[in-house]
Amino acid sequence: MQPTDGGHIMSLQGKRILVAKPGLDGHDIGAKIITLALRDAGADVVYTGLRKSTDYIVRVAIDEDVDALGLSILSGSHNEILDDIIGKLAENDAADIKVFMGGTIPPEDRPALLETGAVGIFTSEQSIDEVLSELDQALGA
Amino acid sequence: MSLKRAPLNRRQLGRELTAAGRADVAAMLRADVTSGESAAFRIGITGPPGAGKSTVVSRLAERFDAQARRVGVLAVDPTSPVSGGSILGDRIRMDEVSPGSDVYIRSVPSRSAQDGLTCNVAEMLNIMDRHEFDDVFIETVGVGQTDHAVQALVDTVVLVLVPESGDTIQAMKAGILELADVYVVNKADRPHASRMHAAIEGVLALSQRSGSGWQPPVLMTSASSNDLAGLEQAIADHRQWCGENIDPVLVRRRRSRQLIESIMASAVAEVTGDLDDRQLDLPVDALYTACLDALRTKGQ
Repeated sequence: MQPTDGGHIMSLQGKRILVAKPGLDGHDIGAKIITLALRDAGADVVYTGLRKSTDYIVRVAIDEDVDALGLSILSGSHNEILDDIIGKLAENDAADIKVFMGGTIPPEDRPALLETGAVGIFTSEQSIDEVLSELDQALGA
Repeated sequence: MSLKRAPLNRRQLGRELTAAGRADVAAMLRADVTSGESAAFRIGITGPPGAGKSTVVSRLAERFDAQARRVGVLAVDPTSPVSGGSILGDRIRMDEVSPGSDVYIRSVPSRSAQDGLTCNVAEMLNIMDRHEFDDVFIETVGVGQTDHAVQALVDTVVLVLVPESGDTIQAMKAGILELADVYVVNKADRPHASRMHAAIEGVLALSQRSGSGWQPPVLMTSASSNDLAGLEQAIADHRQWCGENIDPVLVRRRRSRQLIESIMASAVAEVTGDLDDRQLDLPVDALYTACLDALRTKGQ
């Protein structure tokens, strides 16, 4: 597959990615933008839609055997949700699924999230190309 | 259904399906693909976008699941010819129709033969057999080559249309419209449902299938009635008819043909994908010879 669009990196070709909206947060423009950008970069993407439980998200991540799981959280409960997701993935022999996050995540919370196991925190200060590039590096490892 | 069946290892199954989806020709040849009688009953559900296939699949799967059958769904979504990526949206619709269901749903990007890759559905179905599924639904958008290839692999083909599918009927005359085993006019509460029903019966009457073979039923369904018992019965009737009338050897040959077509298409794509600028500057007959040589080398 030769890239015909110079605007995005095609390096996520063939990667399976789940973009999820956990909890009660009802804003998903960001999640949809990322979903489309990932598709345009060659990935196969499932977007869960709004208001999904962490049990459901982990179930889909496992059944679809995704390479990466993106959590879009604008509700403020990113710490609790990440702990929950990382725990459930580990319980189900899925600790190798890489988790990244986006939404309204204050800079002071980032170190703890990375410590818990997130491979990247992407917020709207970054360009799409920067996000794709970082994700590509995180998934290539 | 065996009571001694091992619990489904979803993590393992997921990984095996991923490997199948990423298989190159060498891997496809190494796989233990016996394209013979399948253990699981395979139902292909196809039709134009918006016909309600995901809802129909989900509700049927729920009914089978309630009978303690192990049910799986392969939801094939189109791959973008530009980026090679895809948005795999069918499973989410199914999950919303049947939340909390145990049915195993897997999204499969179609990777149409035009870009040389295939989705290796044949091997995925064999994997589902090895995990002791009773029934597997394969949902495809019914307008292209991938869809035709998938139909060779299933036992029963269900075509789902909606009352507004009139133009689609014109477009589909020479393809899937004549190949289905069960026809469904979905969203039959909408206007012109009976007209669509009559149009389909008209096409069937003109086709070569009238006579002593299987007479495909044309059903009307609607989400508001929430009753798919008739469809379930039609599928069961077809299954029984096939058991009594279809030679398994013919099925095996049909599946072998589909498999080798898929493998050859992948091999050709691997060769054409490797062409460099010097080769592309050759006249086409020299380029053709070069490709055949490359294919021969592949086989060694």
